[in-house]
Amino acid sequence: MAKKNIKMTIDGEIQINYHWSLGKAGERFFTELRDNKRIMGTKCRQCGRILVPPRIFCEECFVEDMEWVQVEPKGTLVTFGESYFSTDGKKLKDPWMLGIVRLNGSDGGLIHFLGEARPEDLQIGMPMEAVFKDKREGNIMDILYFRPAKN
Amino acid sequence: MVKRVAIVGVGMQKFEFRKRETVEEMIFDVTRDALENSGLSKDDIDAVVFGSAVDAFCGIHNSDKVAIDASGGLLKPTMRNSTSGSTAISTPILGYTHVASGMYDIVMVICFEKMSENHAAQAVFNTVYDEAFVRPIGLNVPIQCGLEARAYLHRYGLTERQMAKVSVKNRGNALANPYAQLPMKLTVEDVMASPYLSWPVKLLDTSPVTDGARAVILASEDVAKELDDDPVWIKGVGRGADSVWFMGRRNADLGRLDYAYLAAQQAYDMAGIRNPMAEIDYAEVYDPFTYKEMQHCEALGLCPEGGAGRMIDEGISLKDGDLPVNASGGLQGEGNPIGAGMSRLCWCYLQIKGKAGACQVPKDVNTAVANGWGGMYQYNAVMVLGRD
Repeated sequence: MAKKNIKMTIDGEIQINYHWSLGKAGERFFTELRDNKRIMGTKCRQCGRILVPPRIFCEECFVEDMEWVQVEPKGTLVTFGESYFSTDGKKLKDPWMLGIVRLNGSDGGLIHFLGEARPEDLQIGMPMEAVFKDKREGNIMDILYFRPAKN
Repeated sequence: MVKRVAIVGVGMQKFEFRKRETVEEMIFDVTRDALENSGLSKDDIDAVVFGSAVDAFCGIHNSDKVAIDASGGLLKPTMRNSTSGSTAISTPILGYTHVASGMYDIVMVICFEKMSENHAAQAVFNTVYDEAFVRPIGLNVPIQCGLEARAYLHRYGLTERQMAKVSVKNRGNALANPYAQLPMKLTVEDVMASPYLSWPVKLLDTSPVTDGARAVILASEDVAKELDDDPVWIKGVGRGADSVWFMGRRNADLGRLDYAYLAAQQAYDMAGIRNPMAEIDYAEVYDPFTYKEMQHCEALGLCPEGGAGRMIDEGISLKDGDLPVNASGGLQGEGNPIGAGMSRLCWCYLQIKGKAGACQVPKDVNTAVANGWGGMYQYNAVMVLGRD
């Protein structure tokens, strides 16, 4: 018999592996990132907006009339944050920093790590640039992080 | 023709971390409470609507099926709704449409979440984000909200101390709430001294991981007056959703919740409310983080845009203020079992009926508003209640 105040449980885990399709737009984006260090967007031929991450349709015009365009690996810091906890809830001694960077020449941007800066060096609206990995594999980590623009 | 819909009873239970009861037992508890409070029995229920946000919390997929027997739904039409945290209000809105359409006279609405069965709620939240562009970065809710809170404070010139005052208010209000998980008597300094999770969000700006359920019984105008001489009517409902690609929205500034303003406008238009600051007597506002209460007070028109700091500074949203907000303690004081944040709506009903016990505010409450928020800066759902 369990003691009255000890909650009885059955313990288990759910471990499932996935293969997520990158899709038509994602395949092109991550191939260009891996092979050519390019950040690509899709431009809606009707409204002219350039979407990053790229999509095969414009959600406003609701057409599939898009062309691929290269956007600059530079942009503006929309907002940023630092976390003192890992995603599995562990307390961290040194925080990791994330930011949303709106990329120049586009209407979109990326969320990514921020590097080569302390939180006190950063402010909303400052220019940022991407730092690419040398050996790229075709995923978002082919960008190592964004850092304050050097010039 | 659209029928008028009233709330004729609510079912409450204590919100707790690691609740002993199963999901089914939790739901039975609030269902029985709602039936007792409305004078109805299981056989009076025509249909049941369930709301729960993320199955991976409890580790039982399609957890709605666990709710069938316990909600009085056996061999009846049932349906599950899920819009992240806004499930809390979009589920009663789904129940509302069931009744307003004339299809059913009495509908049971059940919202539940058992978040603490797993050992890493933030790892579960990470699986909500886009798998290719966002998830690999390791995003979790504290930093997601840190990003948004920084943009919000920056846009409107608000402060961490104003955020802290919301925590002091809500956790203090929860001292009067018998169902509350985290009532605390705090000072602004206590909140300011609590550890940062992600600037400007500190531990005492957040809400806890919680297990719990709530029930609401809806009735059509044809039967509501037989059950209650002075019914609490659903006067307006509204919802809004913004792009999952938050990095490329037309309004790039995450500090302004366009989708929440839209949801509020729909609900107020339907309710015939033109000046919410004057016409709303009481609000229960979705406050998983202190700054979310502030953003939602603005979007709901309870203060001017950018005026939420002043609202808390001037004491307007205190329990004895001109427009009290979250006298129950909100998600911060009562607990935050995502979908079961429908508790916000339950407390609006209880305040209008004068049945909020020690949480009752010292003013007449005829019209009240509740909202829910969720997703990756995605959804808002709003409901306005009032008596004739």
